[in-house]
Amino acid sequence: MRYRRPALDWLSHGLLLLCVVAFCLPVWMALTASTHTQTALYTGTAPLWFGGEGLSNFIGVLTAPMDRLGASAARLLWNSTVMALGIAVGKIAISILAAYAIVFFRFPLRRTCFWLIFITLMLPIEVRIMPTYKVAADLNLLNSYIGLILPLIASATATFLFRQFYLTVPNELLEAARVDGAGPWRFLRDILLPLSKTNIAALFVIMFLYGWNQYLWPLLITTDDHYLTTVVSLKRISAASDELIPWQEVMATTLLAMLPPVAVIVVLQRFFVKGLVDSEK
Amino acid sequence: MATLKLTALEKTYPNGHRALHGIDLEIDDGEMVVVVGPSGCGKSTLLRCLAGLETISSGELAIAGQRVNELEPAARDIAMVFQNYALYPHMSVADNMGYALKNRGVPKPERRRRVAETASLLGLEALLERKPGQLSGGQRQRVAMGRAIVREPRVFLFDEPLSNLDAALRVQMRLEIRRLQKRLGITSVYVTHDQVEAMTLADRLVIMNGGRIEQVGTPLELYARPRTRFVAGFIGSPAMNFLEARVKDGEIIVGDGSVLAPAADIQGSIAVGIRPEHLRVVDAGEADLTARVEMLEPLGADTLAYCRVSGLSLPLVIRLDGGAALAEGQTLAVKLPLSRLHLFDLDSGERLPWHSPETSIV
Amino acid sequence: MTTFDNHRVTPWILLAPQLLVVAVFFFWPAFQALQQAFYVEDPFGLGRSFVWFDNFTRVLASPEYHRALGVTVAVGVGVAVGAMALALLLAVLADRVIRGARVYRSLLIWPYAVAPAVAGVLWMFLFDPGLGIVSHLLAGVGVRWDHHLHGDQALALVIIASIWKQMSYNFVFFLAGLQAIPRSLLEAAAIDAAGPWRRFWSITFPLLSPTTFFLLVMNSVYAFFETFGTIDATTAGGPGGATRTLVYKVYEDGVIGYDLGSSAAQSVILMLLVGLLTLIQFRYVERRVQY
Repeated sequence: MRYRRPALDWLSHGLLLLCVVAFCLPVWMALTASTHTQTALYTGTAPLWFGGEGLSNFIGVLTAPMDRLGASAARLLWNSTVMALGIAVGKIAISILAAYAIVFFRFPLRRTCFWLIFITLMLPIEVRIMPTYKVAADLNLLNSYIGLILPLIASATATFLFRQFYLTVPNELLEAARVDGAGPWRFLRDILLPLSKTNIAALFVIMFLYGWNQYLWPLLITTDDHYLTTVVSLKRISAASDELIPWQEVMATTLLAMLPPVAVIVVLQRFFVKGLVDSEK
Repeated sequence: MATLKLTALEKTYPNGHRALHGIDLEIDDGEMVVVVGPSGCGKSTLLRCLAGLETISSGELAIAGQRVNELEPAARDIAMVFQNYALYPHMSVADNMGYALKNRGVPKPERRRRVAETASLLGLEALLERKPGQLSGGQRQRVAMGRAIVREPRVFLFDEPLSNLDAALRVQMRLEIRRLQKRLGITSVYVTHDQVEAMTLADRLVIMNGGRIEQVGTPLELYARPRTRFVAGFIGSPAMNFLEARVKDGEIIVGDGSVLAPAADIQGSIAVGIRPEHLRVVDAGEADLTARVEMLEPLGADTLAYCRVSGLSLPLVIRLDGGAALAEGQTLAVKLPLSRLHLFDLDSGERLPWHSPETSIV
Repeated sequence: MTTFDNHRVTPWILLAPQLLVVAVFFFWPAFQALQQAFYVEDPFGLGRSFVWFDNFTRVLASPEYHRALGVTVAVGVGVAVGAMALALLLAVLADRVIRGARVYRSLLIWPYAVAPAVAGVLWMFLFDPGLGIVSHLLAGVGVRWDHHLHGDQALALVIIASIWKQMSYNFVFFLAGLQAIPRSLLEAAAIDAAGPWRRFWSITFPLLSPTTFFLLVMNSVYAFFETFGTIDATTAGGPGGATRTLVYKVYEDGVIGYDLGSSAAQSVILMLLVGLLTLIQFRYVERRVQY
């Protein structure tokens, strides 16, 4: 029950809207900045309204290599997409299989495998970055998509979530399937995967964001601009130096770097919220 | 069609719990055997061993004369109806019913024909495209039955299939299961904890307790001649009355001194069992006991009277005609017809061999 | 529970990809970090010598490390307190207005999708000493903003950008937590004549405590590790180490300074720290489940 206090309601809406506006401010400024020429930008404070150069700025960064990089934004976006999809798909695929083995089979060393996998939850890649770099270098994975993707798959978050979900699948379903003549692979394909659909979608959203937004690892492993990702490129083009920072290019690239993950989260919000809240448990 | 033979079947879990202590049982072709017992008696474990969902620790299980201990559930050619139905929630009714056939490589046209046949047998034609989530409890139950029937297996296994339905639907489905089983003539093992369900469905009943079989027989055999006090108390509703008694100078004495009958071949303390429906209210002169009515439960056709008898610790339940004029606090003169008495050893609970004078006269 | 017990090889086939990736990219590097932490490499990479705990004592005694620890704690507290307080306030408001809670969620959720580095660049533009609209406004009230020169301003920039991003995550959880509180409890309190303010602190807030604790841990982890992107893209640890967190120092010493032994020792210390955090979280969550 809530007290009906219209004044308080309006105050709540007012505060919320104020915060929404404040949250949008950086993006608004990025939008307006990306539509001016560099000269127009540097005439005073950043403009609050749009200029007329939006289209040409975006076409410019997308088609030609930028001044401070050896790659165009189109190339950067492609690299980010490959990495994000690779991480999301790879992580989900190996996690589905590993969690399946751990929940639905009994075999020697099962508990050991369980702990070997789940201990990885405790250490993010940032803490083991140097030796991981060395391993990647030894395996000849520097400046390659495989090198961008594989080390970031080596964590058990998704495995853990699938395990939690599998444990809630009624045991009688497995029994019925066995009586109906389904072996392990058939049960996985015909029963378990169709039942996991929303979980897979939720994890896909989270893992895609995780992959797209990676910073430290791609920064280390890509020395060739051909494999540079969008997020990592921003530092290079926005770093203060003797020349003026080309803010219109920086902001156009920044917006491009935000667009795919924000689009994913807005379109798939339902799955995302479910995935987040599930991962708490 | 097949017979089922269990020889010294044992099940011990890895944690050391012994769920089945040597089960011997033979089931005829086309027979409906109901396994009944209190929870934890091992009846579900037994069924799961038959299905192949639990491994058998020792002993032998044979279907149609062939040892199947090592076979996977699917290879045993059995079908099972689960307590929660275990329908695949993402598949339509038709796909649920056809899944086992698909796994066996039955071609699609035949699959469709068999599913349609089974559906018409169960009145499911209109529901074939629905998902389980869109069905009522009774409909789900039917689909679970259909999924078992469509396979045309050698043996049906039922694991408390009606326990999730409400009372009225349960009675209806009970009749339907019996009708279908008779019509299809498939050997069936049915597990339940509900003794009314057990009595009405079974060709033969198996009563289990503590991982052992207490008694096997037709429902009426078990009702008339329970081999142990456990069976006597389990079969029949309301349950049989047990009176503490002793045998002195060759006579059975209950309560505070009423002599029931001569019993030359028995010694010491025993339990005398008599069913509530077999007690008779008589004139004071013929009575064996006097009982004071403490509470009445009018059920319509019958009335149950819960009575106190001096010298007995437990109340005596008497089933009387629903029309009888009775009041709480009233005293009844009760006769225990000798032919209806069951005598049990107090320690072992075994039935004591005893021929009542009345039966020998008749 | 029934399982596929008769299949001996299948589970290993299923586990193989995960075990392989984890072994090569997790255990092997972690083991190397552990080993490296006890060696000193000579500057030309010609050889190395075992030095027991020298790397650790050197790291723990260095004033720079203490400074980095201070910066990390400052970022952690700033982000956790700022992002959680703001998120709780907004979640309470959104939960209050019957219509529109979902709309506000949609409007506030998207910064979560923005990379920490991108968040840093966005805010850096607002605070740009020459062009920035916020720095312009600050100049109006007499504050001269230049995070390239002033350490505390650089730190503030990092914290603000991180709060902006992390707030949305907290908001989702607080809103879900608030909506999970049974209405009947609040109704009972209303009947007991507790006012809204009192109702919040005596009923709502205690019931939210599992969520709050969980978020505290998650925000700390975020502040520890993921602020790396924000820091590197905006201040690069500067000026003069004012935004050099522990993780940033591991990176600087390892990648830029090539002091592998020290970097590895710092990694090991961080591992212990994270392990501790996770352990606390597990223990706490376990206790909560019984409650």
